[in-house]
Amino acid sequence: MQIRKPTGVRLERKKEASLLNWNLKRPLPPEKISIPLSLASLPCVRAGDAVQAGQMIAKPEGPKGVSVHAGIAGVVEKTGILENGRNREISAIGIRRQGEPKTVPAPDPRKGWEGIDSEELLKIFRNSGLVMTNPGEEPVHVKIQRHVSARSVIINGCEPEPYLTCEQVLIMSHPVEVLRGAEILRKACGAARIVFAFEDTNLETIELIKSKIYFLKWEQAEVRTVPAIYPQGLESTLLQAWSRGKEDEAVVFPASTAFAAYEAVALQKPFYERVVTVGGECVVEPRSLWLPLGVSFQDAIRACKGVMREPEKVLMGGPMAGAEKKTGESFVTAGTSAILALPKEVVKKGKEEPCIRCGLCVDHCPVSLSPATITLAAEQKEFGIAGAWDAADCIECGNCAYICPSNRPMLELIHLAKGHMRQVAAHG
Amino acid sequence: MVDLKTSSGQTISPYIHSQNSLSRRYGRQTLALIPLFLAACLTGHAEVLRTLLISLVSGVAFDFLSAKIFGKKERLQTGEIVFMASVFSLLLPSRCPSELVVLGMFLAVVGARELFGGTGACPFHPLLLSRVFLQICFPGVMVEPALFAGESSVWTFAALLLSAGIFFDSKQGRWETPLLFMAACFFCEALFGGEATPLMFFSGVLFTAFFLLADPSGMPLTKKGAAFFVLGAALLSSRLDPGGFSIASAGYAVLFMNLLTPWLDAGFKPAPYRAKNLIQATYPYEH
Repeated sequence: MQIRKPTGVRLERKKEASLLNWNLKRPLPPEKISIPLSLASLPCVRAGDAVQAGQMIAKPEGPKGVSVHAGIAGVVEKTGILENGRNREISAIGIRRQGEPKTVPAPDPRKGWEGIDSEELLKIFRNSGLVMTNPGEEPVHVKIQRHVSARSVIINGCEPEPYLTCEQVLIMSHPVEVLRGAEILRKACGAARIVFAFEDTNLETIELIKSKIYFLKWEQAEVRTVPAIYPQGLESTLLQAWSRGKEDEAVVFPASTAFAAYEAVALQKPFYERVVTVGGECVVEPRSLWLPLGVSFQDAIRACKGVMREPEKVLMGGPMAGAEKKTGESFVTAGTSAILALPKEVVKKGKEEPCIRCGLCVDHCPVSLSPATITLAAEQKEFGIAGAWDAADCIECGNCAYICPSNRPMLELIHLAKGHMRQVAAHG
Repeated sequence: MVDLKTSSGQTISPYIHSQNSLSRRYGRQTLALIPLFLAACLTGHAEVLRTLLISLVSGVAFDFLSAKIFGKKERLQTGEIVFMASVFSLLLPSRCPSELVVLGMFLAVVGARELFGGTGACPFHPLLLSRVFLQICFPGVMVEPALFAGESSVWTFAALLLSAGIFFDSKQGRWETPLLFMAACFFCEALFGGEATPLMFFSGVLFTAFFLLADPSGMPLTKKGAAFFVLGAALLSSRLDPGGFSIASAGYAVLFMNLLTPWLDAGFKPAPYRAKNLIQATYPYEH
């Protein structure tokens, strides 16, 4: 049994700006959306077909497949190729809005949803297009099937990265729905307990969820906190902290996935929109808001009154583990928690200097690696040494690169070593 | 060296960075030494300023020359040379001949640092390596530095305390290292005893703990390894000098422990948390 003291860096949180606009809103549907398709989805519409918001546009294919649903009402424009959030080209379905934006009809509540068994729940998840609302975007039914022996469901309400508030705003706006969604996921997993995870600075949310649990008289649920330091609160660190070497006995879902599960099961609403934080110093009115999957970053930023000045970098996700987007033509996917437009002074990096072996990276590594040794080896193309110093165990949180006084490209070097090790493993 | 450019030309996270930098680190460390130089001037050890000037000028010159010869950029911007020169001037005897100061800086900057591959690459403390070399070659001249020998006064000790305080407050480096070294030295002194006066002892220990162990390049990377390193250095320092502690014995002790650093690094290698099955789900971005 391994119990570790939580390690990480205390980042400037920068969440206040997007929390000023507290209430969750749905902006007017955009002119056009492009919904990326996974390999396990087969389009069931053709160009020219009229679709409604929430209508299935791709069927699940194979046991790991998941359906895809239209985010807006309109006409299918094309089923083609686009660059997705991970800088890869994937197939996608484009939908153009026709006429004036219409109100989406209210969802139809499912009768007796509380009595649905686990098998049926998995079917509902699959047909509702429910995927994890983290960058992995793994179908929820596949994740549950991978964790059949899970005894605890951890609902993650932590957002250790700066700027990100989407989970917090969603939980504060819809606490009971999140709780019900958590219970649905617990039943689907066959787990005994639900653990709600929050950062210890998030006092209002903790109090709110605790009070709801008390009034619901749920004995199977509890609230736990992690220190508000990055990367505590990510899936891997939550399991590290709480499952104590028995990761298979716990399964982590973001709170927004629990909310989506509730909508899919109780309201029969497919998963076609999510809460996204649109923020960063360049955005005029940073906030968290509902956005349909497939909406372009440009439209998302426009929904927050645009930018005050040209951003130096536009990021998908947080500034520590997110991905840079060069063009404005990137699209919101299920794993897009934030769109950040950051100015030059925030993302500027100092001049790269040699390693002085100060050990800061070692002290701040959440998985107890020695990033300095790994990167010094990778720099000299000594990938064997990097492997011997456990480069493969790096979770790429970016702490080492953040803290390094020499501004060394730690993550690039670790990534390089890992890539080389993967190649060696594949080709012998 | 490897080419790190990605095919897409985009950079890799993180996109924000801490305020840490080498110039900040060396700047603050150098700043912490100012009270000590002021006290030296006020207590009749103004020769330290002459040594400082010579070591600074020669250090900058050697840095510039080695940068030209080895095709590297000079380190003036980071302030490393200024810090090295400042500490070196305090390590030398007050009336040290100018040519020895120049030779010492040459050995530290070119002989120790650049020949091993530059900043951070030298397995030994460059200044102590240089000082020990001079001590072996010129034992008659290389006596204990005036500030930490018999001529030390309460005022220089107070200035040293202030310098150590400023250094501690600047949070450049692990706070455990100097404290553990001092504790171990005091323990050894209590255990074995020594001939040094308390003022000499405390001054030497304080200076070594805060300014000589401030160079992490030859020290183990992990906290446990560093702790073992300083405990070893403290024990050796106290046993190598009949007086209980001296800058010379600390130099030998640190250099000896530098030799053990690769083994300490390997011996205290952190046990990683195995999270392979979680990586795909948590960080799937293909950079």
